[in-house]
Parts: sequence; C-alpha cells; structure tokens
Amino acid sequence: MHKYLKKTLVISVFILTAIALYENFLLVPEYTGLRTGVSDYIISSGLSDTGSLNLITAVLYDYRAFDSLGESTVIFGAVSGIVLILSRKMLPVSSRGLSFIVKRTFGLVTPFIALFSLYVITHGHLSPGGGFQGGVILAVISIIFSIVYGSAFDYRRYSPQVKTAMETMGAFTFLGLGVVGILMEGFFLKNLGFLTARTGTLISAGSIPYVNFGVGIKVGAGLAIIFYSMIQKTFKEDF
Amino acid sequence: MMTATVVLENLLLIFLVLCAVMSVRFEEELISIIFLSTFSIVLTALYLLHRAADVALAEAVIGAGLSTAIFMSAISQIRHGDSD
Repeated sequence: MHKYLKKTLVISVFILTAIALYENFLLVPEYTGLRTGVSDYIISSGLSDTGSLNLITAVLYDYRAFDSLGESTVIFGAVSGIVLILSRKMLPVSSRGLSFIVKRTFGLVTPFIALFSLYVITHGHLSPGGGFQGGVILAVISIIFSIVYGSAFDYRRYSPQVKTAMETMGAFTFLGLGVVGILMEGFFLKNLGFLTARTGTLISAGSIPYVNFGVGIKVGAGLAIIFYSMIQKTFKEDF
Repeated sequence: MMTATVVLENLLLIFLVLCAVMSVRFEEELISIIFLSTFSIVLTALYLLHRAADVALAEAVIGAGLSTAIFMSAISQIRHGDSD
C-alpha cells in the first residue's frame, strides 16, 4: 500500500511537471520571421536605445541583462560544486615546468595576452567580444602559467583566496550596477542613461562597459579556480 | 567570388564531419582531444564565414583553448590513478 502511494506520487509529480512545462512553452511567442517582430525592433533602434555599436552586446547586457545574470550565476554554481568535490587538500603539488627558453619566451608574451584580453573586455560594445570571451582569455593566461612554470607558481603568486575575492568583486559589480539601475532609472539592470556619450567612443554605452568588466573578472577568476582545483593532485612534488 | 565561398564552406563542412568521426573512432584519449580541438577551430572558421564574429571568438577561446586544457588535466589525472 505504502509502495503504491509513493509510486503514484512520483508519477503525478512527473505528469504535473510535464503539463507545467508544456503550458510554459505555449507562452513563448511565435517565430515571426527575421524582418518583423523583436529582431526588427532591436536592429532598427538598438543603437539609439543603448548607444552600443555591437548589437549582440546590447542584447546581452541591456535588453537581456537578467539572462546574463542567470548565466553568471550558473558559472558560480559550477565553480562552487567543482571546488567542493575536487579540492580536498589545498596544498600546492607541483611539477618543475618546461625548459628555460620556453619560460623566458612566455614571460615576454604574457603582457600582450593580458592586453588583448583587456582589449576584448573593454571594447565589448564596439567590436566583437565582450566580458565572457575576454574573461576566458584571462583564465587561459593562468592555465599556461601552470603548464610552463609548474603548477605551484600561479598558486603562490595569486592564491585561491585572491581569485575568490576577484570573482566576488565581479559579481558585486554586476549586481551593484543593477541596484544603481533601480535607484536612477527605476528598473533592475536598466542601462544608465546619464552615462551615455558620443557613439563610438570607448566609454559611451551607459553601464555596458562596467558590466562587461565585472563579468570578465568574474568569469576569468572562476574558470581559473576550476582549472586549479582539477590540477591540484596531478603532479608529483619535484623540488 | 560567390562560388569560391560556397566551395570553401563545403570543404570546411566535410572537414568538420571528418574531425567529429575521427574524435569518436580513436581509442587513444589524447588523439580524441586533439581532434576535438581541431573541430572547434574549423567551427570557428565556419562562424567567421557566416559573419558571426562574437560566436566565433567565444568558440575559439572556449572550445579550442579552455576545454582542451581541462580535458588534458582530467586525462592526466585518470592515468595517474591507473599507475598507482
């Protein structure tokens, strides 16, 4: 009797969830073609609304900024879960790294990679790119450090506490700009109109460059934390 | 002009399918990862051909850079566990 009750409960929950999902998908507006509907509105008046030349960034961080907040929450959840499961011991375990030539060459190349990632982050509203892509390039610098100099180098320079603080700072930048949007414009994560300047200049598109910067720092630090918690017990201690 | 673009696109699509099949067919994990990385680079070229520069940048950075590094670290950890 008790077993059947449990089974009927589970099956009814499944059926109710299916009905709720079906009703939810019915609410999605129909596909109205490329030339009409929302896409036409964004293409025709996105530049005057947001001041961002790159319409994809305008959609990501102005029209659909709440979805971007959800995406960065997903990344935060993934980082928390991986760190919780994988890093039992936070001791640095290191290899010796590659040869002298590779170390010197990478030391020369690193500032340019960092400059490129900062370019991609700060020019997100002018050219292709944005916070997410530039943040991943920042994380790639940290990964190449661990391959070239041995995995303890980056750990000793920038400890996981520093990376966690950077990720938290990026998240607070995003959320703080959302709260400022409530105070100044009346809606959560609305673009700040008083910050817009002449179109095409570096700091022009309202709050979009600042949101890009926050997302870039958050994504870079989070992905570096994921990589380091995966690599920690990989190598033997050599020196 | 137009035909050259079409020929390039078809070549890239054939190479894309080839990379996907190769990455599944090989037994060795390292070769599979390298073929997945090549798959991402070919996909980046296709995105650029269709003028989706944002998606191309994200695919190049994440598919060819980050996921390869994470797969490599996972593979090295698995081999370490086997030898112990």
